[in-house]
Amino acid sequence: MKISLNWIKDYIKIPENIELSKLAYDLTMSTVEVEGMVDLSKSFENMVVGVVEEVNPHPDADKLVICKVSIGDLGDVGDDEPREIVCGGINVKQGMKVAVARPGAMVRWHGEGELVELKKAKVRGVESYGMICSSSEIGLFDLFPFEDEATIMDISFVDSKAGTPLAEALGLDDIILEVDNKSLTNRPDLWGHYGIAREIAAIYDLPFAPPEAMNGAVTAKTPKDDFEIIIDDTIRCPRYIGVNIEGLSVKPAPFEIQSRIWRVGMRPINAIVDITNYVMLATGQPTHAFDSDVVQGNIIVRRAKKGEKLLLLSGSELSLTDEDLVIADETEAIALAGVMGGAKDSILPTTDKIILEIANFDALGVRRTTIRHEVRTESSTRFEKGIDPERCDITLATAMQLFEQCYPGQDIKITGFFDNYPKKSEIKTIEVSLKWLEARLGIKLPNQRLESILGRLGFDVSFANKGSDEIMSVVVPSWRSTGDVSIPDDIMEEVARIHGLENFEPTPITTAFEGAVNQPKVLIDRKIREYLAFKCGMNEVYTYPWVGEEYINAILPGSGEMLEMTSPPSPSERYLRSSLLPNLCKAVSDNLRYFNEFSIFESAQVMQGKDYKEEYDPRESLPLQRRHVAGAFVATADQYSKVFRHAKGVLEAMARSVHMEEITLVRGEACDKPVWADDVVWLAIKIGDKTIGCMGLLSQKAAQGCGIKNASTMLFELDIDALEPLQSRTNKFTHIPEYPISEYDVSLLFDEGVKWEDIRQCAAGKEGPDNLLREVSFVEQYKGKQVPDGKKSVTIRLLIGSLKKTLTSDEIESCAAAIVKRLGKVLGAAAR
Amino acid sequence: MKEKLECILNDGKAKISSALTIAALQDVKAFLLGKQGAITEVLKEIPKLDVSVRAEIGRAANDLKNTFTDLINTRRDEIALKASEISPDFDLTVPGIKPNGGTLHPITQMCYDLNDTFLSMGFEVFEESDITSELYAFDNLNFPPDHPARESMDTYWIAGSNESKSRLCLRPHLTGASVRYMQTNKPPFRFVYPGRAYRNEATDAKHERAFFQYEALIVDREFTFSAGKVMIKSILSKVFGCDVPVRMRVGFFPFVEPGFEIDMGCLVCGGSGCSVCKQVGWIEIMPGGTPHPNVLRAAGLDPDEYTGFYVNIGLDRLVMMRYGIDDIRLLRSADLRFLNQFK
Repeated sequence: MKISLNWIKDYIKIPENIELSKLAYDLTMSTVEVEGMVDLSKSFENMVVGVVEEVNPHPDADKLVICKVSIGDLGDVGDDEPREIVCGGINVKQGMKVAVARPGAMVRWHGEGELVELKKAKVRGVESYGMICSSSEIGLFDLFPFEDEATIMDISFVDSKAGTPLAEALGLDDIILEVDNKSLTNRPDLWGHYGIAREIAAIYDLPFAPPEAMNGAVTAKTPKDDFEIIIDDTIRCPRYIGVNIEGLSVKPAPFEIQSRIWRVGMRPINAIVDITNYVMLATGQPTHAFDSDVVQGNIIVRRAKKGEKLLLLSGSELSLTDEDLVIADETEAIALAGVMGGAKDSILPTTDKIILEIANFDALGVRRTTIRHEVRTESSTRFEKGIDPERCDITLATAMQLFEQCYPGQDIKITGFFDNYPKKSEIKTIEVSLKWLEARLGIKLPNQRLESILGRLGFDVSFANKGSDEIMSVVVPSWRSTGDVSIPDDIMEEVARIHGLENFEPTPITTAFEGAVNQPKVLIDRKIREYLAFKCGMNEVYTYPWVGEEYINAILPGSGEMLEMTSPPSPSERYLRSSLLPNLCKAVSDNLRYFNEFSIFESAQVMQGKDYKEEYDPRESLPLQRRHVAGAFVATADQYSKVFRHAKGVLEAMARSVHMEEITLVRGEACDKPVWADDVVWLAIKIGDKTIGCMGLLSQKAAQGCGIKNASTMLFELDIDALEPLQSRTNKFTHIPEYPISEYDVSLLFDEGVKWEDIRQCAAGKEGPDNLLREVSFVEQYKGKQVPDGKKSVTIRLLIGSLKKTLTSDEIESCAAAIVKRLGKVLGAAAR
Repeated sequence: MKEKLECILNDGKAKISSALTIAALQDVKAFLLGKQGAITEVLKEIPKLDVSVRAEIGRAANDLKNTFTDLINTRRDEIALKASEISPDFDLTVPGIKPNGGTLHPITQMCYDLNDTFLSMGFEVFEESDITSELYAFDNLNFPPDHPARESMDTYWIAGSNESKSRLCLRPHLTGASVRYMQTNKPPFRFVYPGRAYRNEATDAKHERAFFQYEALIVDREFTFSAGKVMIKSILSKVFGCDVPVRMRVGFFPFVEPGFEIDMGCLVCGGSGCSVCKQVGWIEIMPGGTPHPNVLRAAGLDPDEYTGFYVNIGLDRLVMMRYGIDDIRLLRSADLRFLNQFK
């Protein structure tokens, strides 16, 4: 919202020692966020009022004239001789006051393009001192509209003499404050200049009283015989004032009124419409004017009929619902209440009598209507915040005063007046314990100070003793009673913000606690993430909780138990993830454009529409939600066995790094293959007997569905909530062996189908005190040129040693030989 | 002859000091002191000299011999100390083999930085579910029944929620679940609560539908809102690594009373005004305030007895400011070209 400082000065006198930047800062700290300040006169630098003394033809151009223009004593030349200015204005004439742009002024040629700096120049061979401006060339088209482009601004109406700075002459030497509307949402009283002035007065303790015009009374408070205001829905419309005014005409408003509404961002239209807008900008209360010739009979405030049509001023036709409130006459709806007038009954060029509406509408109703029909106006924005019905009074007085100002000498008559006010707003009194206030503020403010602060804001304050405490009774003014101020905490805030938030010293946090924070369940997620990132070299990604249908189709069994949103980000993304894998596959697919080999993971919640629980409150029932972690290892298509071992290793080592119960990777009958996995390459992730996740190769079909080409993608996903963190590290100490242990590598040929686990078990043999084999481990396996078809070469590392003595090389050899022999006998292993 | 000896001395010194290896030094030694060496040559010449100078030249030649022997020995020790078997052409500029380090998401990094700060101040970490109910997202938090945030144009509601229960939605903010914590723990409370939140809005470089919030809450019997400033300063100085100016100004949020907008001094311009801070020298960084009495009531606490302080930080924005990221959508793009930058 734009606030004109000159307008504010109608209501308060701002001391000169308060600098503008200070004012903006203090308003921001205590009331509303001032986002910027614009000095309007800056746009009119080097522009002055000129008086056209002579108009002479241009020797070389039919459409141009050479004007002699007085522009006052310039100081730079030391005289006030008229200057010669070449002009193309069709309306220029002797004696006219015009806007003269001097060299250095910033103007827009023909009202288009960028601003450029004006320089002395020859126009068709004749030197021109400056420019006589058209309104569009200096951004004032809205105030000085024209039909022919070659029209110059006629400002003969100003009192100022030649040479007066243009901004001063036109009253444009104003500062405009830009207030962030978001910071005003809870303050319906601040949506007009009057309310902002009250806040500034409160901050600086300035005298503040409504000007006389706002207290004026309407002279003819007599209802017309044949006119009545009927309110059908008093909840949605607590008050409606209708004033019949006759003897008007449609003409421009006085320049000062036009200029004011233009300065704060609205376009002047005609005197009647401008008055309704001006009043709103002054008091924050929207008003509307109907052409009373078009209104048939009484004004009725009622719900719309289902399907009732209303053509708005903006030209769009609405089909209404019975939730919409309309202003209607005897025949049809004529306005959408609190939002916009209808096209038919608005001010027409011929209008000479009106019904002025000053009414109060319920905030929620107006807001629902604006959302339903997607129309938002200055009026609806204000009603949505909740305006108090009492404000109609000052609004009415302000409006009536403006009519007199705009139609001087014209015999305007108030021929009817009807104030239907069925529902008075409640005036609240809040009791505040001063002991409590002191404790919460951290400082004790004298009663006098409290009374002063609250008094400036319009609150009535009285004090009374109650036991050892003192109670402050605060009567809330009507303009703060629409929900904004209702409890002692609200009063504390009023006191704190006007006292000045910066006047409260930061105090140390004193809360004392017992015991150390110990939350292994919470911290396991962090340990897993740090393990995957820092130890396993994976990149953490964040994706959205909604999943595209194509990925659901490719990766999941279906959307059966998935939760669905009512208004999703897009129609194909209406389901919420029951698994992290679909979006992870999308991330794989996206990254394959730039990388061949990478590994990523995500830790987040997944949800499903089942196993609902009423854990916290019987009034709610929450669906199944679990923390999951999922990863993807990606390499070129032929590298699947390498990525398999990589992924498997990451999972196998996780428990030890993260300090949690061991997880196992198995393929038992009880496990179901996930939809996305390759038929051969997949394993269930288990903790004890319980399956908590799965790892495997993304099947060809699933990869295709995700747009993943020429890559092997190994995925895993597991349920973090199912993991059991250990309370502390579980490493065990054993003595370092006293006698040497020898490494003994042996490469053997096996049938391709023989599994490593069988080889390992067979090689390990029976445990026993005489077994010299300490450990069997896998070194590598190889298939290729040197290995016959159907066979593979496996290199096994044996660690051989005794706990009792140093072995001789013969003893080591014979231990190894026995193992090789056993492998040959049981698994058909042959030496290479 | 004297001149010749002088010449040999200078030449010899230079040769010795420029020998870089033991082998080269050996060659120098042979050249100077060997059988055909320079000094030997001189000694051979002596008999041909005039008797009067023979003795003098002889002494000088022997002195020179001793000098060279000392210099060579010293140089040998020097070389031995520096010796390398490796060619001096060895390329020291070849890059090292780095450990295979992955990355945590920059938001996770920020979250953990903050967790560490708060854990050191005795806060607990609380985590909660993404889906919540209208009861916890709005009712308990003192949002009026007609508050705009409840509309589906603001909040992602879940279809087909149980009619007899509170409507379900993706949580629009974390604050709702603070009540869950308070309901299930005993005061005083001191906890942080990081998590994802979601709001239905159009996305662009500055707006996201999914974002990451970080909430910190203290509830105790005695607590003034001005103590909250200490909490805020701790957060910001941790994130930015320096003492950051902080101001609290009025702000309105239904669940706090009084409520504040909390600004930090712009670190780009130092407060003098720049394009980052829109010329005001301050940047809006988080809302905060004292929990509204109705919120405390919903948590089963007596608002006359308990009060506290709360802040809610948008980590996306803080991360963007920390690194100068200009498009919020990058954070959920999963683009490794982006993520790899945050080691």
